[in-house]
Amino acid sequence: MNENPKSWTDKLWYLFSSMKMGLALLGATALTSGIGTILPQTELEPDRAEAVSRIWQVLGFTHVYSTAWFRLLLGLLCVNLLVCSMQRFSGTYNRTFKPRPPQNGNDIPQKLRQEIKGSTENLRLKTEKILRDRGFRLIGEESGESWSFVAQKHHLGYWSAFIVHIAFVILISGAILGMFFGFKGTMMAAAGTTTALKNINLSKGTVTQDFGVKVNSAEDRFLPNGERDNWYTNLSIIENGRETASGTLSVNHPFTYKGVTFYQASFDHGVHLTADVTGQTMPIYLRNQGRPFRFPNTDLYLFIGGMMGSPQQPVILFQIYKAGNSQPIQSGQLSAGESTNVQGQYKVTMEGYAGFTGLQVKKDPGVTVVWLGSGLLLLGLMLSFYWRPLLVSGILEQEGRLTLGMASGKIIGQTETEFGKLLSEIEGTNSKERAGLTTDLELKERVL
Amino acid sequence: MNQGLQGLEISMFYLTLVAYFLSMVLYWVWLGVKSNILGKFATALTIIGFAGNTVVLVARTVIAQRLPLSNGYEFILTFCWGILAVYLFAEFRYKLRALGSFVMPIPFLLLVFIVMKMGPDERVAQAIPPALKSQWLTFHVVTAMLSYGAFAISFGLGLMYLLKTRQGVTNQKDGLISRFPAAEILDDLAYKVIGFALPLLTLVIITGAIWADYAWGTYWSWDPKETWSLITWIIYTGYVHARLMYGWKGKRAAWMAVLGFVAVIFTFFGVNYLLPGLHSYA
Repeated sequence: MNENPKSWTDKLWYLFSSMKMGLALLGATALTSGIGTILPQTELEPDRAEAVSRIWQVLGFTHVYSTAWFRLLLGLLCVNLLVCSMQRFSGTYNRTFKPRPPQNGNDIPQKLRQEIKGSTENLRLKTEKILRDRGFRLIGEESGESWSFVAQKHHLGYWSAFIVHIAFVILISGAILGMFFGFKGTMMAAAGTTTALKNINLSKGTVTQDFGVKVNSAEDRFLPNGERDNWYTNLSIIENGRETASGTLSVNHPFTYKGVTFYQASFDHGVHLTADVTGQTMPIYLRNQGRPFRFPNTDLYLFIGGMMGSPQQPVILFQIYKAGNSQPIQSGQLSAGESTNVQGQYKVTMEGYAGFTGLQVKKDPGVTVVWLGSGLLLLGLMLSFYWRPLLVSGILEQEGRLTLGMASGKIIGQTETEFGKLLSEIEGTNSKERAGLTTDLELKERVL
Repeated sequence: MNQGLQGLEISMFYLTLVAYFLSMVLYWVWLGVKSNILGKFATALTIIGFAGNTVVLVARTVIAQRLPLSNGYEFILTFCWGILAVYLFAEFRYKLRALGSFVMPIPFLLLVFIVMKMGPDERVAQAIPPALKSQWLTFHVVTAMLSYGAFAISFGLGLMYLLKTRQGVTNQKDGLISRFPAAEILDDLAYKVIGFALPLLTLVIITGAIWADYAWGTYWSWDPKETWSLITWIIYTGYVHARLMYGWKGKRAAWMAVLGFVAVIFTFFGVNYLLPGLHSYA
């Protein structure tokens, strides 16, 4: 780290390479996102969000997660993590792949260090054998009268922080990819109808694909014990008038075609009717007590007031309204196959019930990147807690004096124990006799 | 058969509640009187309570024909099971009986919450909505149970550390505190436990995101439960950074362990009862 920054680029680099800055940004993210859970958010509760004090709305606290400043906060965090990672990269690389035996006593770990005396030949052989037996990778170096060595175990553990930090940046990159190159929308369609993908209700992004979604069936299935099993939709993809794919989806089991995923979100009951006018037949799909249908070129509306009977013997209640009248001008009951005349202008026939499926439609090219980031995040954390790198280095001088030390991640207690065991083996003595070092047994006694 | 099982579930629930209460009291008394027999009794009662808790969960699994991971009542019992599993491991592995005085109130109070606040209709096995029919739910809740359980233990260790190092009592030979292990051991253990729980919490969040992506088509929607799990994650990440990079040990680390668990409890409870969102059933 540059301790005396001069130019403004140096200053900026210095600022972003600071971990304090990273922690402050993380803290600010936690604080602001926490406020967002307490204040009503426009997306979840638009009415309540409108009612809070104006200042919160102006500052963006009623839609925290989509404000520019919240995104800037996450962006700055990413910059901080990148700068920190770049800063540490060469150090971590060298420590992992180019470890150097100590040149003098200062290079030997200070906190856990011990001197052992004995025959030079014996000490060297024992040290090499014991460390290799314990799974350490040892590199030795002769220099004049002395022999120095560095031995490492779990050296990939040095990368844990790097991996965690980069993983976080990858995660955010995935989210950004989804934001810029994806879309999100919903569609509500009856069984038997085809909807062009471009006509769905979009809430985010733009649709670039051009295909139709035909709903073959939409069902609300129940288990024998009466509990709801799931909602099922069978759909076909229609491209250039041809069916190119088909599949069944249900809640928790989406269907994907060319990067566009369909999720079962809701279900509603409805009716399939046909209207005859001047010899032409047109299909009508209406939800039970849903939006009415306006007969073309008239001011007449058809409304489904209720569904009775069963899927096998469907019966509906219908009402005909005229624009401007709050009372129906005609009403009645229709069974499957039955027809009625609407004000002498149309003939309406009831064909049967039709399920309406509510689908969420999404394209998010960033999802894979998000999962990659998540996997790396987990890997980094596992390495950091369960793959602690261990380093032993030392210098053996001609007169038979071996100075060696051990360093690891950050848990001193456990490393002390391991160092104690290592020394005992090299010396061939019981580590309990050595003052200043803690053994497993002593640790247990202290706990007791 | 179901009626018999339901009877077993209910009686085992109350046995668990009583066992947790008595073991909590005995752990307290043991701290004061230092009778080994009392300590052993406390541990035995904890094991009985844990066994009862296990039976409740197994009975519920058989009755509902799914894992007991689908409503507030089942989550609390699963959370208690997680706390007890990690606690008993810690007590036997590290001979840490004193920890029981600080950990046992948590499952006891959680069960009291069920008795006081949940009506019979909230406690029976209910039909689950289609969104909950996913194997990711199992991964999500099982990892949450162990992670939250371990955070509860780090909370207990943090409290013990703070009591142990209160000014003027550090070297006290007598009194309750003398039963506690050395301060640095408490500190070290709390770090180890958080080292176990933090990757698990990460997995809880990731499995939740995968599940949300399957069910709702959105891996992250800033739902209050998600947001609070992220805040909890940030607090513990802060703990790890502060410890590893700035050498924050001892008191400051202990306070962070306590604060982290407050966030865990808020994520688990506060969000459901105080804030709106997608996790309304959990």
